[in-house]
Amino acid sequence: MLACHQLTKRLSSGATELVVLDHVELEIRAGDFAAILGPSGSGKSTLLGLLAGLDRPSSGEVWLDGERIDDQSEDALSLLRRRKVGFVFQSFQLLGNLTALENVLLPLELAGARDARARARELLAQVGLADRTHHYPAQLSGGEQQRVALARAFGPRPKVLFADEPTGNLDAATGARVLELLGDLRAREGTTLVLVTHDREVARLAGRRIHLRAGQVERIEEGALA
Amino acid sequence: MVTAALRESRGARGRLAFFVLCLALGVAAVTGVSALVASIESVLRSQSRELLGADLSIDARRPVPEVVDGYFNFGGMPERSEVRELATLVSAGSKTKLVELKAVESTFPFYGEIVLDPPGRLGDVLTPQRCVVARDLLVETGLKVGDSLKLGGEEFEIAAVVLDEPGRLDLAFTLGPRVFTSREGLARTKLEGFGSRVRYRALYRLATDPGERALREARERVDAEVEEAPYLKIESHRDAQPALRRSLERFESYLGLVALLSLVLGGTGVAQIVRAWVASRTQGVAVLRAIGFRPREVLAMYLGHVALLALAGSAVGATLGSLLPFLVPLVAPELVPKGHQILWEFAPFAKGLVLGLGVALVFSVPPLVAIWRVAPVRVLRSDVEPLPAPKLVTWSAAIALAGGIFAAAFAQARDPLYALAFTGGLAVLAGTLALAARGLVWIAGRLPREGLDPYLRHGVAALARPGAGVVGATVALGLGVLVVVSMALIDSRLTERLRTALPEDAPSVFLIDVQPDQWDGVESELKGLGAAFVRDVPVLTARMSAIDGVDVKVLSQKRPDDSGVGRGRWVLTREQRMTWLKELPKDNKLVAGALWSDPERLELSVEEKFAADLGVGLGSRITFDVQGVPIELVITSLRKVEWESFGINFFLVAEPGALDSAPHFRLAAARLEPDGETRLQEVLAERFPNVTPVRVRPILDKLLSVLSRLALGVRVLGLFTILTGLVILGGVATSTALQRGREVALLKTLGLTRFGIVRLFGLEFALVGLVSGLLGAIAAFVLSALFLERVVDTPANLPWWALLPIAVAVALASAFCGLIASAKALRSRPIESLRG
Ligand SMILES: Nc1ncnc2c1ncn2[C@@H]1O[C@H](COP(=O)(O)OP(=O)(O)O)[C@@H](O)[C@H]1O
Ligand SMILES: [Mg+2]
Repeated sequence: MLACHQLTKRLSSGATELVVLDHVELEIRAGDFAAILGPSGSGKSTLLGLLAGLDRPSSGEVWLDGERIDDQSEDALSLLRRRKVGFVFQSFQLLGNLTALENVLLPLELAGARDARARARELLAQVGLADRTHHYPAQLSGGEQQRVALARAFGPRPKVLFADEPTGNLDAATGARVLELLGDLRAREGTTLVLVTHDREVARLAGRRIHLRAGQVERIEEGALA
Repeated sequence: MVTAALRESRGARGRLAFFVLCLALGVAAVTGVSALVASIESVLRSQSRELLGADLSIDARRPVPEVVDGYFNFGGMPERSEVRELATLVSAGSKTKLVELKAVESTFPFYGEIVLDPPGRLGDVLTPQRCVVARDLLVETGLKVGDSLKLGGEEFEIAAVVLDEPGRLDLAFTLGPRVFTSREGLARTKLEGFGSRVRYRALYRLATDPGERALREARERVDAEVEEAPYLKIESHRDAQPALRRSLERFESYLGLVALLSLVLGGTGVAQIVRAWVASRTQGVAVLRAIGFRPREVLAMYLGHVALLALAGSAVGATLGSLLPFLVPLVAPELVPKGHQILWEFAPFAKGLVLGLGVALVFSVPPLVAIWRVAPVRVLRSDVEPLPAPKLVTWSAAIALAGGIFAAAFAQARDPLYALAFTGGLAVLAGTLALAARGLVWIAGRLPREGLDPYLRHGVAALARPGAGVVGATVALGLGVLVVVSMALIDSRLTERLRTALPEDAPSVFLIDVQPDQWDGVESELKGLGAAFVRDVPVLTARMSAIDGVDVKVLSQKRPDDSGVGRGRWVLTREQRMTWLKELPKDNKLVAGALWSDPERLELSVEEKFAADLGVGLGSRITFDVQGVPIELVITSLRKVEWESFGINFFLVAEPGALDSAPHFRLAAARLEPDGETRLQEVLAERFPNVTPVRVRPILDKLLSVLSRLALGVRVLGLFTILTGLVILGGVATSTALQRGREVALLKTLGLTRFGIVRLFGLEFALVGLVSGLLGAIAAFVLSALFLERVVDTPANLPWWALLPIAVAVALASAFCGLIASAKALRSRPIESLRG
């Protein structure tokens, strides 16, 4: 489903060159729940971005759903993400001038879904926000915003969902509720999930845990610990 | 403080550029107008003797009495040179042409040289049998030097053509090309004998330069002691063409206000940029406050920063604007006399600099007031919305703003009434536009967006985006559109009106100075040429000697010495033309009193506006001096005249019988085809050389060309306002660039292509433009309709269908500018969405 070979990302700022990711080898099967773990600055977000086609590697290959994506054009990658990829971010990233419903609708309409509106309402109901559809992000709490983001991410039935520290900006209880919903939706839709976190508790739910350190895969653990 | 201010500008190149551009455009417009006028004035001043041809000129409708000379004895009697001027026909074979004839003595001109081809001195070339003509006459008639032409029935040989007149500025309105003859030559033609349309001018060269004060005192003595003084117009070279300079001043105050409009718009742009900047600095201000800066110090720091930027913007604009006069020789060489060096003028540059700086500061005070309200405790919080300022502070800032705009308008128009009208009008228009824009934003926020295309939905939603400055941008752009569209509408309607102004039944030619015994002959010639609507009236010229028994001399002392129309002195002292009629023509309407209603007295009917200028009303008694005989008439009716009908009309109409026996001539009007008019000129030149035909069509054409020059100026300045509006829109786009950059990254992450993003944001800016364009254009149409119907009294007949195309054009321009200004945001990469 998702794989990378010898994936390397170098960043140069002036004279110095920084190796953010160093020959990373990884393979994630369809329907898996993989967590990427590591201390801050270890390259987790960078890896996620490369796997999702948000950025291009310095060298190495990235494969997503049988397609090689590391050499595709920016627009081609946009269209690919539109069809196959969903995102949840640490900082929610809702569009402030659109209502909750409109935020959820946006990727659905981009993907040209027929029943966009019904699907958006159904998802908002599933995350417990049926009565908040016409509220703007500023009128919602952090947890509620992240639930809208979940609904938005699952809308077009993506094959892979990438989540970067989805509970990082939330308190423990709210975070737990968001994770629970994420798990439920993933189970119902059969979505492959790649979740980045530095929180071991969060990672316990995952089927695999990929430990990063200084841009390299330190070790991989198999099996949920829950 | 300066280093602190400079540090503030680091890392904000976009803001800097828009700030500078916003101001520079307006300042360039203001400076440009002022520099242009200054450079023309400098021509008038530096060549004032050459323009007048003398130190002193006395102008009258009758010969200038010799006694006047003695008053200008400054270390010796002045030299005097007589000039006679009149409009008359020249003919050569079958060609005829109306010209302005100038009969001069050999001393003419005292200053400057009239350059002739073949070379020679005007005084030497002119003999009683020869004349000198302007090149235009040769071009238009096909004559050449050495040919002969007829003036007032007498033959003249064309001795030379005028290549250059000293300091001649082609701004004056003329009836035809110039022809010079000698006084003896004019005497040969007997044209002078018919009196009524000859202008007498005495030019003087003074023995020594008496200085301004002595000259003024001499003029005052002439006014007080010489009996004919009320009929004399004295002009010294020190006045430097007062009439021309007055129209120049009017031109400057009018165009100056239009230019100021773009500067004020630039000011609103500055306000927006400052507001966005202050909002983004709230945290920084809180930190400064926390480490012990007082609010006043913080404000001073920020104001210093604004002043620095404003200085930069104003300097750029003032430099560009003050260079404008150097373009004139390229665009309109006829406005620059030969040999005149255009100099860079400091005053307009300084004016632009001061106005730009002032407007920028005045407009930044209201948004900067927010700094006072940043409490140090905000360091601990993360919300960056600035608190609203207290009502009192907001209101004082608004009043300061209005005061500043008023001061700027006063500086431009030098008339408190104009300045007040400008400020008030602007406030009302901006307020209306702001209200309408706010309303639309409100509606946009609540509009059901359910069924909309996602791109359009995003655009509509973005209109309601808080803090996006949509209202400000809409007002600025809307005002720009308003100015340009209303100017274009009014200009095109007036031009069209002038072009078709000659109604079907209006006369196309007027015949002046038909002697009573010539009328039968002239009338039969007119009939023979197929003239229609032939009308003739007696015309009598007389001066007023008293109003209600008070001597006009006494009355005129109380009035400003203004040769223009209106309530000046000239209205009272000039030669009045009047007629007598039994019934009023159709285009006259009585507004007060009744026509010829008092059998006991000699009655007069006066046009209502003229009556107001004279300061008379029903029952006023006016005494006229008709060739030395005083005749008193009483006003028993006031009339309104529809001048646009181009009929023969007079301010003053007397009762028949009152003046019939006085010497007079007849004025005739008739409608002829252009061909017929040419033939009429031939016949008149042959049989009645003293009769001057004045054709309406060429005069309308001249008027049109003058109007189109002014309209061009307004249009260019109007363009500046639109440009400023677009720059402001761009400024708004940059001020939200950070937010937009994040959105772009997110949208790309969600799968939008680059084209999709361009479409999305383009649509958003286009919507702002559409709303501004529509609001501005609607306001322009309404104002123009009001102006045309109420002020000019003409059916507006506006092309309302043009509203939508205008709005669409503004929308396209806005989309273009908005996208350019967001270019950086549009390049945000999707990966950036991972870094919250
Ligand atoms: N645009 C960038 N410019 C410079 N350094 C960067 C950039 N993006 C990431 N880095 C560096 O790469 C390393 C890994 O970053 P990141 O993937 O965000 O780590 P994590 O998500 O694990 O905290 C960090 O040291 C970070 O400073
Ligand atoms: Mg990270």
